[in-house]
Amino acid sequence: MAGAEATTSTTGERRGAGRADEAAGRSGAWFPRWYWPSFTVPGTAWLLVLFVLPFYTVMSVAFGTVDPLFRTPLPVYQPWWWSFDTFGETLRKFYAGDAIYQEPLLRTFLYVISASLLCLVIGYAVAYYTARYAGRFRIVILITLVAPFFISYLMRIYAWQSLLQPDGYINDVWGLVGDPVTWLAGRPVTVILGLVYGYIPFMILPLYGSLDRIDQSMLEAGRDLGAGPWQTFRRVTLPMSKPAILAGLVIVSLPMFGDYYTNDLLGSERTSMLGNVIDDAVSQSGRGPEAGSLTIVLMLIVVIPMIYYLRETRRAAGHA
Amino acid sequence: MERRWSRRQFLGRAAGGALAVPSLAAILAACQKPGTDTSGGGGAEATTGPIPIATPENPVELPLNGEPIATDTPIEAGATLQVYNWIDYMYKKTLKAFEEEYDVTIEWTTFNNMEEGVQKLVAGQVQPDVFFPTTDYISRLVERDLIQPLNHELIPNLGSVVWPSFTDPGPFYDLGARYTVPYTIYTTGVAYRRDRVDDADAVAQAYDLLWNPEYAGEIAYYDSYRDAIGMALIRNGVTDTNTNDPAAIDAAKESILEIVNDLDGQIRINGTYAKLPEGEFTVSQSWSGDIVGAQWYLPKGTSWDVLGYWYPDDEPGMIGNDTIVIPTTAQNPRLAHEFLNFFLSEEHGTENFASWNGYQPPFTSLEPANLIDEGIVPPALDRAVVTENMFTTGLIQSQLPPEDDKLWLDAWAEIQTGG
Repeated sequence: MAGAEATTSTTGERRGAGRADEAAGRSGAWFPRWYWPSFTVPGTAWLLVLFVLPFYTVMSVAFGTVDPLFRTPLPVYQPWWWSFDTFGETLRKFYAGDAIYQEPLLRTFLYVISASLLCLVIGYAVAYYTARYAGRFRIVILITLVAPFFISYLMRIYAWQSLLQPDGYINDVWGLVGDPVTWLAGRPVTVILGLVYGYIPFMILPLYGSLDRIDQSMLEAGRDLGAGPWQTFRRVTLPMSKPAILAGLVIVSLPMFGDYYTNDLLGSERTSMLGNVIDDAVSQSGRGPEAGSLTIVLMLIVVIPMIYYLRETRRAAGHA
Repeated sequence: MERRWSRRQFLGRAAGGALAVPSLAAILAACQKPGTDTSGGGGAEATTGPIPIATPENPVELPLNGEPIATDTPIEAGATLQVYNWIDYMYKKTLKAFEEEYDVTIEWTTFNNMEEGVQKLVAGQVQPDVFFPTTDYISRLVERDLIQPLNHELIPNLGSVVWPSFTDPGPFYDLGARYTVPYTIYTTGVAYRRDRVDDADAVAQAYDLLWNPEYAGEIAYYDSYRDAIGMALIRNGVTDTNTNDPAAIDAAKESILEIVNDLDGQIRINGTYAKLPEGEFTVSQSWSGDIVGAQWYLPKGTSWDVLGYWYPDDEPGMIGNDTIVIPTTAQNPRLAHEFLNFFLSEEHGTENFASWNGYQPPFTSLEPANLIDEGIVPPALDRAVVTENMFTTGLIQSQLPPEDDKLWLDAWAEIQTGG
């Protein structure tokens, strides 16, 4: 991330300098050399204070030690004193011995991938309808999509809790077709639906923005050239919305990887994800460095889809 | 012992875990590798040496790390008293009464679990006048000079209102009550819905209430490793709730995983006080204070007779108490003494318990029969009333040495990942 920032700021400088020269030539206005680069200061400061520094602290905790008496985490800020024992031990818990973190890891991938794909399928349909066919109801639909955000996420999940509890409404309806289900007793399906519910607006909005911008004449051209509705969709609409699909998937899946409260409120130990494992380790004595190590592991995991996304968008930009 | 993560603990936790970020000064001061000096990681210079672990069999008289404040110290006027307590573990109206009586302001700061509470205190991020630690932390707080000795002349209620065992000889973790006064007492048993489980049947089932497939999907167990593994140990016939026997701990772990995986049970802190009254659970692991407090969570129209509590009377069960202390860095130590005395007074201590908290203070005036006659405790919850002699036979959790604690924590970590 720091690397990406550096590249932008150098290109910014180059372009900025060029533009300043042009502007100076044309109108006589003059900008000092630092003028355009200075625009990156807020972004850089943001990144330093809210990403680099906290991440360094996480590393200092992960590679640090614990208070000998209270077993509270004792971060070590000097890299030459860092110890990687806990980190190695934590990694081993993913594959060696009881491998207690293996299942949470697999669950995390299973739940995040399922929930992201569900978000995509449902979100695409909604966004497509809103962009193409909603007509004058478009604004109403968009407002309705954003409306739940006026209520705290926690309150909404509490509402789900009472809907899903053994004597809740969901079971009243479900009871017509089968036996009542203990939805809240660690059912993967409940957790996945909770994740979909929590993140789907973040999928719909970029998709809507992209589908709305597709030029109607492109679609008409496709039809003119003999493509049926399905072919037009597959060969025109879908490729043109690919950047938005990727952006939507990244936006929903990254926070899902670290999500723990959905599981806390709708799942049980049986559905623990990596976020829960970290949360549990943070709140127990002597396990601070382990929590830090797990945070780094999770970070490495989410870097993979991020790199894919950056490569894809760069490729897309190259085509354009 | 995260019982008092209590009522809004989910909100607190979901709002973000509290990994304390150290102050800049602490970073700059770290010239020495942290955790290497035996006096304790750059903290205050310790005046006392290592203190042996206190157990009921080996009670400890904590060394004095200074003199208590003088009796003639004037009460700090117009002060702001910093109270650092578990979230929602004190009745707001009683706090207000204290503010009015002394014409002071109370600043109320909370923590969600003991680790968080201690961490911020150790790091100096909070400087409270009054703090509420669990008993297994007392000797360590003294060893690090983080709490100060009390002047008993300024806390007369300790001698006159509280059970004599808390002053003479004093609790095992603090003989002579040099640093602590008791706050609440509680037992750990099993709560059940009396409209679904017959009382006699509950007594017959005992701990197996929580392992009965008949209640599958309606079982709650506490999200607190010492209490959770502790009860599973007893259920499996191991009465040493401070055991370091790996086989016993492993068996207890398997028993809890049975609840999670085979019985659709849930490990959550609000099972007893919030969800059992709502009917979501039929049986739940329960601190006595939680089931007494559960009466405030019953849906309208539901009688408090649906609440039941089982705690063994023919064999020892788990029992414990919480404490109030005055940290060394207290800005208002004299007013803090008044605060302790205030909450140990029959009037205010009882109000705090009876009107909201549900956790009983160890007052001689609170007779079990009276508590029920006065409508403080529901009649069906007579077993939730704690008596002094329960402490003589009860199973008490003491501090675990780090290597034993690791066995417990590892087992718990495995339970939390679903095994």
